[in-house]
Amino acid sequence: QDLAKKNTANRQVVEARREMLREWLEWRESMIEMLQEEGAEIELNGGKILSNEDADGRVEEIE
Amino acid sequence: MRPILLSGHERALTQVKYNPDGDIIFSVSKDHVVGAWYSHNGERLGTYHGHQGALWTVDVDPTSTLLATGGADNTMRLWEVKSGKLLKTWDFATSIKRVEFSADGRQLLGVTEKRSGHLGTIVVYDINPDPEADQADDHALRIVCDESKATVAGFSYLARYIIAGHEDGSVSQYDGKTGELLYNTQVHEDDMQVTDLQWAPDRTYFITASKDKSAKLITAESLEVLKTYVTDTPLNSAAMTSVKDFVILGGGQAAMDVTTTSARQGKFEARFYHKIFMEEIGRVRGHFGPLNYVAVHPQGTGYCSGGEDGYVRVHHFDKAYFDFLYEVEREQAQANL
Repeated sequence: QDLAKKNTANRQVVEARREMLREWLEWRESMIEMLQEEGAEIELNGGKILSNEDADGRVEEIE
Repeated sequence: MRPILLSGHERALTQVKYNPDGDIIFSVSKDHVVGAWYSHNGERLGTYHGHQGALWTVDVDPTSTLLATGGADNTMRLWEVKSGKLLKTWDFATSIKRVEFSADGRQLLGVTEKRSGHLGTIVVYDINPDPEADQADDHALRIVCDESKATVAGFSYLARYIIAGHEDGSVSQYDGKTGELLYNTQVHEDDMQVTDLQWAPDRTYFITASKDKSAKLITAESLEVLKTYVTDTPLNSAAMTSVKDFVILGGGQAAMDVTTTSARQGKFEARFYHKIFMEEIGRVRGHFGPLNYVAVHPQGTGYCSGGEDGYVRVHHFDKAYFDFLYEVEREQAQANL
């Protein structure tokens, strides 16, 4: 019976973590979309400013 | 995970920062000196001399061109990183407790201390990223903190908001352009000082550390508390790791004398928590006094801590660190394959 209780408790812990992870990833996705809409390039690049070379490279790719 | 010790400072470290590439660590200390070090081997790259008092704060701009510092000599200073040349000194009536560049490096904020006759303020200067250019004498914005002084502050994504942590344990959101107070909320316990505020790489959320022994993950947009990390010691600093979803907390009860067991044995610890699940997953000991600041390598490959003991300890993460996953994270990773 103790073992059964423990397994239930473990399942609940795992389920709670799964839910926290799901909520987190969903929220992060919404923030990234918001930054894309706002054109927040530096923020989306992890705080690094794209150098002129990088920027030129990107333009060429589009062409 | 054998650490590298940066020994060169003669007094307590107050802040340590990686540049955006993560190859250089800047350190400031109560010994008046700003240090620059190679992060991979701890070799000293140089020092920046000029401040006349204890240093409280340092930040580097996003291109590693300009360095900002502030301290007890009531000045905020701007330096050229590679030459060590002092480019600008701004004078104030009280000490500078915090400096931070905006994500684009075009603005610099300073938090000024409160003293009789002077309220605490947050000042913002427009910055010309060219080290040859003249910098503005006058601030572009000045926020007066008349309720509770700000202890820490920074710019959100796109510098839309200025977020400040206060002495009374609250956090404020100000309009980044006008300085208008938009919202203030008591996130930490009453009168438990917010001691640190560090941003996620995209600046949509941040982590605060407090003397109330907890750290909180908060959104910039609504100041909603997403996560709380509970410890058993007053915290001075909190940082987030990239690559892995961890937070690193530093603090510790200041030892009354050096004979205290924990100080003698180097038992002051950096505490690792899972950022999403809020559970403690490990500790790294080594400092002989409280950890005053923790900074994470921008690429997530290591971290460094600055201690009251006068040392910076630089850690490079090992394979076990990167391999560590909760079962539900493993599930998630497999689902995405």
